[in-house]
This record gives sequence, C-alpha cells and structure tokens, in this order.
Amino acid sequence: MTVETPRRPAAFRLDRIRVTDDPDAALRPSDQPVVLTEPDDEPVPVVLPKLRRRMRWSDILFSALGVLVSLGIGLAIDRLIRDLFDRADWLGWIAVGAAACAALAVVAISVREVGGLMRLRRINRIRDDAEAASRRDDRKAARAVVRDLADLYGERAETAKGRSNLAGHADEIIDGRDLIGLAERELLASFDTAAKSLVLASAKRVTVVTAISPRAAVDVLFVLVSALRLIRQLGQLYGGRPGTLGFLRLARLVVGHLAVTGGMAAGDSLVQQVLGHGLAARLSARLGEGVINGILTARVGIAAIEVCRPLPFQSEKPPAMADFMAELARINQGKGRPIEDELGRG
Amino acid sequence: MNLSSLADEARLAFATLGDRATDIVNPTVRLGVTGLARAGKTVFITALVHNLVHGGRLPVFRAYATGRVTGARLEPQPDDDVPRFDYEDHVRALVEDRIWPDSTRRISELRLSIAYESASFLRQRLGSGTLNLDIVDYPGEWLLDLPLLTKDYAAWSREAIALARRPGRPPAAAAFLARAEAANAAAAEDEAVARELAVLFTDYLRACRADEHALSTLPPGRFLMPGDLDGSPALTFCPLPGEVGDAPSGSLARMMARRYEAYKSVVVKPFFRDHFARLDRQIVLVDALNALNAGPAAVADLSAALTEILGSYRPGATSWLGSLFTRRIDRILIGATKADHLHHADHDRLERILGHLLAPAIARAEEAGARVEIAALASVRATREGVVTAGNQKLPSIIGTPLAGELFEGEIFDGRTEIAFFPGDLPRNPGAALEGVDSTSERAPPLRFVRFRPPALERTAEGMKLSLPHIRLDRALEFLVGDRLA
Repeated sequence: MTVETPRRPAAFRLDRIRVTDDPDAALRPSDQPVVLTEPDDEPVPVVLPKLRRRMRWSDILFSALGVLVSLGIGLAIDRLIRDLFDRADWLGWIAVGAAACAALAVVAISVREVGGLMRLRRINRIRDDAEAASRRDDRKAARAVVRDLADLYGERAETAKGRSNLAGHADEIIDGRDLIGLAERELLASFDTAAKSLVLASAKRVTVVTAISPRAAVDVLFVLVSALRLIRQLGQLYGGRPGTLGFLRLARLVVGHLAVTGGMAAGDSLVQQVLGHGLAARLSARLGEGVINGILTARVGIAAIEVCRPLPFQSEKPPAMADFMAELARINQGKGRPIEDELGRG
Repeated sequence: MNLSSLADEARLAFATLGDRATDIVNPTVRLGVTGLARAGKTVFITALVHNLVHGGRLPVFRAYATGRVTGARLEPQPDDDVPRFDYEDHVRALVEDRIWPDSTRRISELRLSIAYESASFLRQRLGSGTLNLDIVDYPGEWLLDLPLLTKDYAAWSREAIALARRPGRPPAAAAFLARAEAANAAAAEDEAVARELAVLFTDYLRACRADEHALSTLPPGRFLMPGDLDGSPALTFCPLPGEVGDAPSGSLARMMARRYEAYKSVVVKPFFRDHFARLDRQIVLVDALNALNAGPAAVADLSAALTEILGSYRPGATSWLGSLFTRRIDRILIGATKADHLHHADHDRLERILGHLLAPAIARAEEAGARVEIAALASVRATREGVVTAGNQKLPSIIGTPLAGELFEGEIFDGRTEIAFFPGDLPRNPGAALEGVDSTSERAPPLRFVRFRPPALERTAEGMKLSLPHIRLDRALEFLVGDRLA
C-alpha cells in the first residue's frame, strides 16, 4: 500500500456514495465511489522458498531399493493368494479380503500421518509468523496469525470464550505485538496451565518410581517411556495430533531444542541449576537419583512445551525449572521419607 | 538542570519520605497529564476515568482484561488546595451533547481508586489491594516556565527580546518593542511605565498564542492566566532591550529584575515544589496532526516546545533506598493524540515522525534511566475506518461526522452529515515533516485533517450506554500503571 507519490486528501459525503460490505462492489462498473466498511485487510502473500535439491546417487539407490522391496512384497502376496486359491477357493477369498483390508488400513494410516505432519508444520508456521509479526510489530501479520490460530483451535470447545473475545476485538486498533500477546492470553493461558500440571505429574511419577525401582535398567526404561509419553500428551494438548511419524519428528525437535538450550529452560538462571543439583545431592543417594530423573523429565517437558506451543512465550511467563523444583523437593520431604525408611529396613 | 536550592531539595526529600510512609498503607501513583493547548488533556483524563469506572474495553491493559481489577471509583483527592478535575461535566459534554469538553486552563487533580487483586502471592497477602491513581492535569505552558528558575533577569531579558525580534512574529511584537526601546532601562523606576510595558508585553504573548498554527508559547506562562495574581507586581514586568545587568539601584531595570525574581518565587517555585516534583509517571500529549496541517514551520515550533518541556523533567530510575527521598519520573509516554483522524495504516508513520522530532530529548531521558514510549492514541475514537474506491484508487479513509463549521475544499459541513475522509498520506520519511516549505513546496505531501464530532454511543438492550471507544488508551494505561497492578 506504499505509494511513492503521496495522494491528495479527499472527502466523500456518505449521502452521495454507497457504503457496502461487499468487496466486489468496487470492481463492478459504477459511476460513483464506493466505501467498504471493513478495513482493507488483504492477506499477505506468503512466498515459500523453493528448495532445489540435487539428485543424489544415494537417493536413486534408496528409491530403487524401495521399489524392489515393494515389488517383492506385492509378488509375495500375489503368490500367496494364488497358492491359496489353488488349495481352496474360500481360502483365497479370505486372503483377498485381508489384503484389501490391509491396503485400506495403509491408506488410512498414511492419510492420518500426513495430516499429523501437516498440522505440526502448521503450528510451526504459526509460531514463525507470530515471532516475525511481534518483532516487526506488524499489525497486519499479527491479525493473520490470530486468524490462523483461531482456525487451528476452531474445533476445541474450551477455547470458545477466548475465540469470541478475540473476535470482539477485531474492529479495534491494536498493535501487532499487543495482539499476539492478547491471543496468547485468551487462547493459550489455559493450555499452559494444563501443560504445566502434565509436566509436573510426569516428573513426580518418575521421581517416585525411580527412587523405589530395583534396577537401573527399569529406571532408564521408565524415564524414557514417561518422557515420550509426555511429549505426545503435550503435542496433543497444544493441538497437534501427531501420528507416529509426527511424533518422531516432535521428539526429534524436542531433543534438538534440549541440545540447543543445553538443558536450561528459558526462565532459568545458572544459580537455579546449581542449587537444584545441590538440593538433589543433599538428599540420600537413591532419592537424589529420583529427583535428578524428575528434573530430567521436567526439562524434557519444558522443551516439549516450547516446541509444541503455537505462539512463542511473550506476554505469558515461560515455564521454568523453579516452578517444578519446589514440588519435586517436597515429595522427598513429605512422602519420600517413609519410602526411604522402608528401603533402609528392607 | 539545577532548578532548586538546597533548602528546597530538603523540603522535597521530607515530603517524599512522608508520601512513601503513606504509600505503605495506601499505595499511590501520581500521574501527570500535560500537553500544549488543544492537545487533548481533558478528553484523555475523561476517557481514562470513564473507561475504568464504567467497564470499558481495555484488552491490552492486562490487569483489567484478566479480571484482576475488581472496580474503580472516584475518591476525594489528597490535596485540598488544588481544584478538582470536573469529570462529571466533561463526560456529560462528551456523551450527551456530543461536543468536545472545554479545555481547562489551570492545574486540576482527580483521585481514582482502583481495587485489584495482585497476581503475586506476597503482594496479595500484604498489599492493601487498592491503588490510588492521582491524576494531575496541568497546562504544558507552565513547564516552559521551569527553565526560568535557572536564569537571572538579564539572561532572560536578552533571550526574550531576541525572540520578539525574530521575523514572523505578530504585529503586537513590534508595538511592544517600540515602547520598550523608548523606555530607558536606567531611568528611575516608574509604576505607570512598568504597567504600560507589561500590558504591551502580555498582548504580544497573547497574540503569539492566539495564532492558530504557531504552537510556540513563550514564558512567562502565567501572564495569560493570571487568576488572582492579576495586577500584582509579580505579574507586572517585562524584558527590556539593551544591557540591564549593571543598571543602578532604583532604576526601571532593577525594579523589573526584582519582580522577575518575585514571579519565580511566587509562581514557578510553588508549582515545581508542590506538583511537578512529586510526579511518578508522566504522559505528554501532543497534537501533531494540527502542526502537520499547518506546515513545517509549525512542526518546528512544536518540536522546540516539546523538547523544552521534556527537558524540564527529572527522569530516571532510583534505587529503592534513594526512592525514599527522591521521586523520579521513571516512565514517560508521549501520546500523539487524535490518531482517529488518520487511518491506522498511518499510525506507525505518525509515531515515527514524533520520535524523529523528539529524538534528542528522548535519548536524554532514556540515558537517565527512564522508559520513554511513543504511542499514537485517540482517547475517544470519533471515527471508524473504511476504504474508498474512487476510480482506480483505493483510499484508506476514516468515516465520521465532522464538526459543524469545518471546511474542506470550499464545502462547509453542518455537523450532521457523515463523510468518508482521506487525509492524505503521511510522509514515509519522518524528516520530511520538518523540511522547509520553500524548497519542497512542489512535492510536499498535502495533508489535511478535519475535526470530527465525538461518536454517538450505542445503547445495550437495557438502555445502558456502552463505554467510550478509543485507540490504544489501554496500551497507554498498561505502560503507565500496569506494573503497579502486577
């Protein structure tokens, strides 16, 4: 909308021109000017960068192998069905039915997987757009983000109030950054609370179970399973319905995020890290291990929240280790003591 | 700027200590609202109070939007010697008669008591749960008096005479100068001569101010609003041409110098000590559109006046110990008012122009540790927006009812017809607003702003009037008091 030569001021009396909501009215030939009551909110065209990938030999190799394996499987099934038909017709028909079912299931699964991946991608795109919009304080981009977000949560009844509140502010003039903050508060605040309690519950469970588990292998397995389960739950909470592939992708993102942040949550200071470990170490060795595992789970949870959340933490307070440390330490003082005693006696 | 003597500083420190003690049981924020004439101070305060009291729509004002503010009501103000801000009359004018309220020409005060629940555990248990917002409204012209505290009569006289001789001054300046040249500074003091000169000087100041487009207002500000000091010696002096520093005792110049000092101690110092030095937060309202309407000369005037105004604050952050004895304004909001006279796409440009004009003053305040923000705001939003499609052009316009008697391209509006209005594009380059008229008159962007009537308020089904619409009033509130309601 930027024009090099500034336009001259102009006034139009509303009793002489038409006021309409219909954007197409302006395109129809008419001899009088037209006023559209809606602000001019053209969607910003998004130009996706095209990745030019070069054909590589390894790609050709794997594609060719994939084709061969698929052909092999197809041939095997075909042969099996033929053999069964040779033996008895009814066996053959059962096999055909089973193959059809399997094919249907494959289609359904891939549709769901692709859907999950696209949903994840959509959330990532919303977050990138939101970051850019609030960095540039761009009103138009922020409005587009808020619209996308409302679409994303369109089927979640618990966000109905937040969505209607946001829609009520649509006519008001709010700056880009403030608008993103508003959306965060209206739509995501309740999810954040739920996410924190999920993380805390998971961390607590890990702390207690690893404190009383007899073998290290059980510890490791339990922590792993809990962390993966937590990631999946958080992904579902924030609106992604990750399928298996999506889940793997999410897990990879979380691990990547943990690696980048060095295991420090956004709101943490070094002091807390040191104090946290110190606190754990002061407890008995076994319980200390439990707390360490709990801390680890909480960290995975925080990273997962940051990866799954469709908006960056901006006006809301990001979850920090301090939120969970106190709870975890309390387990040890309160419920933890009898467990330790029992262990000591046993 | 050293505006006060040691004794004044001591008195200030004790007063602040007293205020802090009351703050413990009765937390208070003193919010200064100022701006040059016609900047929209009265409307800002009225809209702010109306929105808080009547449950307005303030989505960005966090404490309010999350429901932690449980109520707000007007309370008796703490200072008994300051006139009360006449909120009720102003609201009636805005809402019932749909006219802009009268401007106030004096200091006034209003206390708004906000009941809230703190989000932090400690403050919720220990705090009183109310915040008193003392809104102090004073004319920005008074701030231009503050630099007088550091100047003696000779210096001020020299500057004032030089200003009066500047080209482009109204004819009243010439009349005053001619009479002042005739009077001999070294002659014996004479009350009749002094009074005659003072009257001419006041006329000259009034002529400067009456000039619709020039916004420059010259000190001493109280000459134009004398109140009960009218005719007193403290308001009967004027600058004199020539060297006045070494005039013999008993001369006219000596008398003027004595009265100048009296003006400082009777008018300027009490304002500084009793009101100005006690502010916590400040909002400076600026009607930049009026200046842009009038052209680059008016913009330059505005910029000079605002820089002077911002120069008189004591901004900066203080440590908690220091804050027991000194008050510093730690947040200054510069509000470009009447943003509803522009399409929102141009708001950013308006903010950028203002930021460009005030860059040195803002840098100084920020260096001292204060937070400064600029926001294009409309305390009462009189227009809505639309896009006019005329021919092959799409003009982002505003729709509203212009005031009766407003003129645009030969058409006079009657105050009842709605129009869609496109005010022209603000310059993309903020420096362009200051560029000289002569060099760029060909391509200088034509801008025209028409004044609109206050909006008609819709009624709900129960017949209740809805709150006043606004632009970014909530953002202003969040910046000014949001942290005190955390």
